[in-house]
Amino acid sequence: MTKVKKIIENISDKIETIDENLIVYSKPSQIKDVAKLLVMQGARFVHLTANDFISQKNFIELNYFFSLIDDRINIIVKIPLEKEELSISSISEVVPAVIWAERECNDLFGVNFEGHPDPRRLVLPDDWPQGVHPLRKDFFYSSRPPESKQPPPLKKPEEGKTVIPIGPFYPALEEPAYFRLIVEGEEIVDFDYRGFYVHRGIEKLAESALNYQQIPFLAERICGICGFVHSSAYCQAVEKAANIEIPLRAKFIRSLFLELERLHSHLLWVGLAAHIVGFDTLFMQAWRIREPVMYICEIITGNRKTYGINIVGGVTIDIHEQHLKEIEKIISQIEKEVRELREIIIDDEVIQLRFKNVGILKHEDAKKYCVSGPVARASGINIDMRVNFPYAAYPILNIRVPLNKSEDVWARTIVRLEEILVSISIIKQILESIPEGPTSVKVSKIEPWKEAISYIEAPRGQLFHYVMTGPDGRPYRWSVRAPSYQNYQALSVMLKGASIADAPLIIGSIDPCFSCTERYEVIDLKTKSLNFYTVEELKKCSKAK
Amino acid sequence: MNTEFIILSSVLNILIVLLLSPLFDGFTRKIRALIQSRVGPPLLQSYYDLLKLMGKEDLKSTINPLFRLSPYLSVVSIGMASLLIPITGLVPPLNFWGDIFLFIYIITVVGIAIIITASASENPFAYIGASRKMMLHLSVEPILAIALITGAINAGSFKIGDIVSWYYSNGPNVSMLLSTVCVFLSLQALIGKIPFDISEAEQEIAEGVLIELSGPKYACVKWANMSRQVLFCLVFTQIFIPWPLSENSLINVIIALIKVTAIIFISTLIESLNPRLRIDQALKYNLTLALFSLTSIFLALLGV
Repeated sequence: MTKVKKIIENISDKIETIDENLIVYSKPSQIKDVAKLLVMQGARFVHLTANDFISQKNFIELNYFFSLIDDRINIIVKIPLEKEELSISSISEVVPAVIWAERECNDLFGVNFEGHPDPRRLVLPDDWPQGVHPLRKDFFYSSRPPESKQPPPLKKPEEGKTVIPIGPFYPALEEPAYFRLIVEGEEIVDFDYRGFYVHRGIEKLAESALNYQQIPFLAERICGICGFVHSSAYCQAVEKAANIEIPLRAKFIRSLFLELERLHSHLLWVGLAAHIVGFDTLFMQAWRIREPVMYICEIITGNRKTYGINIVGGVTIDIHEQHLKEIEKIISQIEKEVRELREIIIDDEVIQLRFKNVGILKHEDAKKYCVSGPVARASGINIDMRVNFPYAAYPILNIRVPLNKSEDVWARTIVRLEEILVSISIIKQILESIPEGPTSVKVSKIEPWKEAISYIEAPRGQLFHYVMTGPDGRPYRWSVRAPSYQNYQALSVMLKGASIADAPLIIGSIDPCFSCTERYEVIDLKTKSLNFYTVEELKKCSKAK
Repeated sequence: MNTEFIILSSVLNILIVLLLSPLFDGFTRKIRALIQSRVGPPLLQSYYDLLKLMGKEDLKSTINPLFRLSPYLSVVSIGMASLLIPITGLVPPLNFWGDIFLFIYIITVVGIAIIITASASENPFAYIGASRKMMLHLSVEPILAIALITGAINAGSFKIGDIVSWYYSNGPNVSMLLSTVCVFLSLQALIGKIPFDISEAEQEIAEGVLIELSGPKYACVKWANMSRQVLFCLVFTQIFIPWPLSENSLINVIIALIKVTAIIFISTLIESLNPRLRIDQALKYNLTLALFSLTSIFLALLGV
């Protein structure tokens, strides 16, 4: 840590060390040099977000998050931007992975990034008026700005090349997203993406209407598959910021559900990948194997999704002795079936014809775009938050990180299949060594203006949550970066040169999770009730628009 | 050959190929469901599907007259082609010199009709599907044609009836055995099922050639596809495995149905145990097979 500190000292105003975080204060003009130095030291870009302090101190503070995996340090580069001059040079030349994050900051905070290669809108809809930035504190969370008509900013194909639209609604995609493949014959030469159709402003809602204990229920609804990772990451961040130590049993319960979630998410992916290449038998069998995991979740929590477990300070439920026995029985059965499934996939030559040498993401590119999770591990990058920044019960557990170096869709499949088995072994360890004790602690007042970062190894990769505590009993800033957010940006590399037939498979191979990436929400939390619309009401709504 | 036989076997042929094909489709769906640990739809589901589609609104995505007519053309062509296959005996209902050329021509028309429908619909996915289907047809249909011509050279006649009679009485020689194997290996591609359903690939190009069809037209193309499966299975069982055969036409029909069911069962197994190939991989497979089958013609010319 001292080495990095010494190097950065020259170009920063002030350096602080809080726990594992190294906070670097710098000037807007120096950001490129700081980024260059950090990248040279092997730092990995994680996220970029902003904090609006206009009403208090008349500036917006940019936070660049980097991490040094080997030293287990987070580096937060803080740069204040005066309200009158919200402009800074883009660091996308040094760190290509920043491209989406800079576009998002531009949309939501109105920060201009000079020299950005692709300054189009990312998050805001096309009919959103210019100059209205929803994450600024002077924007009221439920206000509706007037619509303004603008042409959608789409890439134009060069002459002689055609556009194949995949989306916004497409049979192989479960959620809306618009992939535009620019093709010559059957070969893809360029790629354009427009997503965020389901962006619902979860961060804004949390920052302006909910309190600390309500947000976990919002956070777990960010994703339809891996919701538990979001509530865990949020709770961990708040606990870190407020210095709350949760009981060991609660940590084990969190780890247990995180692994159960990875188990069913990976089996879901295996099924979907098989479905994309038309192998429906494998699809059905993978989902049949997955089903008992959902049963366990239902037995323990009352619903197939693991909703309502996490709160700040621990977990709301306890696991009974007979549940542990039930889990052990089901897990052994799943292990047997997954081993059979793996044999079938590895021995199938036609699957290999479709999966091998497809969607190659070279080791260097994977590093450049800071991808994470199985996509990174299939390109030979040894990164796993459970090992690099251990949380919950993972410091005590024994974890193996499966790696593969063949960089293609096949490698991603093998890595995910291995990870299922690793998860099973972790669950077995948890069942053996889960300690007795309370499951939560009482949380008293949380000090304002403390900040914390929390990582979770979600099924799709590194999940990042950042919380700055606020004075009104809720976070002042809560920022979420889902793993798919980074993995998406590497898609253009994987798709270039591929054939149209492989495009859905390549897109599927990063296991894209639109709702995570776009942080959406469908339940009206203000009235705390599910709203049911009749057909007539829906018609009225659609006509009113 | 009497008029009564011609009428009877024509009716039976059309009945088996056109009217029983949804039943066979229901059978494949049931088998697939069992392999996939599902219950599956009822056996008659494909009839219900067709009836439902027949009653649906017919959305016209283009004014091109080809788009309007070709779905019906494909069903009619299959019905025509079914009259050239011997089911009730050794001789098909329509039996004349050179009927193998008519047969090859008609089964090509079935594919062409769907390609025309797709190209006329002005949808990018349909275009991709049409070009893929064209490539598949061009690569797979020569295999069937070569096999039929091998039979013709062996039998010394361009009548399907003569080829079957010769094969039935003389038994297989090297060249006929080779072409039988080649037709069997290309059957999945002829039917257009996984791993060769590339032109319809739901997850890649959203049903490709079928994307713009709706209502009765979609029903027709679906029906034609089901009937095509039965037709090609019948071509294989009746022309390339003509045994066993009895004197009674009705018993022959039952034997043919059993044979077709067995072949469809095998084809369903292949379909549900394989992923879809990419177009270049499928073409490579078909062209290798076509080159291989060419040797059967030379063997037949040599008389073995």
